[in-house]
Amino acid sequence: MVMTVTGQPLQSALATVLRAAGWIGLALIAVAVSLSDFLANVPADTVNAGPLLGPPSEVFRFGTDVLGRDMLSETLHALSATVRAALPATAVTLVTGALFGFVAARLPRPLALSLRGLIGTLSAVPGLLLAILIIGLTSRGWASVAAGLAAAPMAFVQAFERAGTQTRAAHSEYARAAGISAVTLLRRDLIYEFTQTILSSAARALAAVTIILSTVSFLGFAAEPPHRDLGLMIAASKGYFLDAWWTAAFPALALTLLILFARLAAGLDEGERA
Amino acid sequence: MLHFALREAGRLALGLLGALLMAAALAALGNRHVTDGVLPFLKAWGAVLGGLFQLDLGHSAISGGGVWDELATHLPLTLELVGEGLVLALLVGIPVGFLFGAGPARRAAAPLAQALSAAPIFVGALVLAYITFHVLHWPVAVGTEVKTSLKLVPHTMPELREALLPVLTIGLAGAAAAQLGLRRATVETMHEPWRVQLRRMGLTAWDVERAYVLPAVLAGLFKCLGEVVLALLSAAAVTEWVFGYAGAADLFVKSVALRDWHIAAAVLFVFAGLTMTAHFIGTCLARSIADPGAPTPW
Repeated sequence: MVMTVTGQPLQSALATVLRAAGWIGLALIAVAVSLSDFLANVPADTVNAGPLLGPPSEVFRFGTDVLGRDMLSETLHALSATVRAALPATAVTLVTGALFGFVAARLPRPLALSLRGLIGTLSAVPGLLLAILIIGLTSRGWASVAAGLAAAPMAFVQAFERAGTQTRAAHSEYARAAGISAVTLLRRDLIYEFTQTILSSAARALAAVTIILSTVSFLGFAAEPPHRDLGLMIAASKGYFLDAWWTAAFPALALTLLILFARLAAGLDEGERA
Repeated sequence: MLHFALREAGRLALGLLGALLMAAALAALGNRHVTDGVLPFLKAWGAVLGGLFQLDLGHSAISGGGVWDELATHLPLTLELVGEGLVLALLVGIPVGFLFGAGPARRAAAPLAQALSAAPIFVGALVLAYITFHVLHWPVAVGTEVKTSLKLVPHTMPELREALLPVLTIGLAGAAAAQLGLRRATVETMHEPWRVQLRRMGLTAWDVERAYVLPAVLAGLFKCLGEVVLALLSAAAVTEWVFGYAGAADLFVKSVALRDWHIAAAVLFVFAGLTMTAHFIGTCLARSIADPGAPTPW
């Protein structure tokens, strides 16, 4: 009993601290991205800036890669490219997933259930494969949109379920009984939904699209040199990372931190799918 | 239970029908006239659907071979990887889910677990490859050769070396989903008022755990079976690429790159079907062990 009484507030406080840590981390990454051109020693894709495959040193803190590129500068530029691609993708997920799911649940029941079934079918396919498919149907230039659309089914299903709960809630029944129109009720619920969940939904979408975008880049379907993102940087190190760990470790660390902060900001459980 | 199973089977059938229509639409893109307008596309879609009802999945635009043959060549490897990954996911996920269900152990492990959850699968695969190479001194080939088979039960050290990394990568991805389902069910069950009420009725703690808590927790695990399989299939796509296995996920990636839509559609349908079937089986299993019709307190 004592455990229950003291455990719950402690857990709640820990969750708040972790969320705050996530947002602070994302803010720091945003600063690093906006100042990447100043923080980086050399412009993106500058070859022979140092020795080939030089380990981390005083001059090159993250070492150099197989073409003598400064890994610190390259990681900063790639982080910037990843974030810049992930932001529009996040917006696509929010609109086509979260917003559309919420509105779809209020459509006439047969239409709502048909949409739920269709999107539910898409959510049974790994998001990565969906993104690859959309890029294959369009072009690499659409990678951000593809990642956003690939992450959307999950967001749609979650929003649809939340909207369904609200539709069955007591306030909805009272509103309908009082003659308040469906559109007014939808507007009220939309405002409530988005003021309450927009930040965590956005952070969750950011984590999901970053994973998808970096993986499709790793597989060679998104970013192209010289505009390398973190996924492509890690892919480029595949041939020699066993002997030169720094070529993969720093971009991988930057990518993992970005996803970790987004997950913490979204308040995701450990192991929960973003 | 029968009514429940029939309802779920109906949902599965509808889901599979949706996946079939989606795959057929994708396969129709292989027709050279589809870009002429909506009507040619609908005609091509109808032709593909007509072929499907005669079990004709079409032909690969690249190899010229039948889609059935391509699937028969590549799918078993993916299924082996996913099957072994599933076993590993349960072996790792169940103890972790129970251990970190709640309390101080969970709070202590939470930061590490969050960091591990944040690493994309391809990063995890490369980390495992690095550790294997430098700690175990095993030879590691990352994307340098293409393998077409995997020994399900390795008998020799080289076979074990070959199988371990991909299975470990896929298994750990599945374990994350498995432990989550189990952990959530454990936490939910821990806060159920009937635990205290049953003790007051004279049942021993062991009786309550064995007869009521364990089925409820296992039901939570079964319910997330679809999620686990989805995580395993996602991981298989990356793992096959990183470690050079010519499985179905690798086939999908190459098919999309080469615009071989018949093959891509078939793989997409198989993957969606596997996830939906796993969800169906998991839901029925969960219902069968925690059946509200049975004399349970909830």
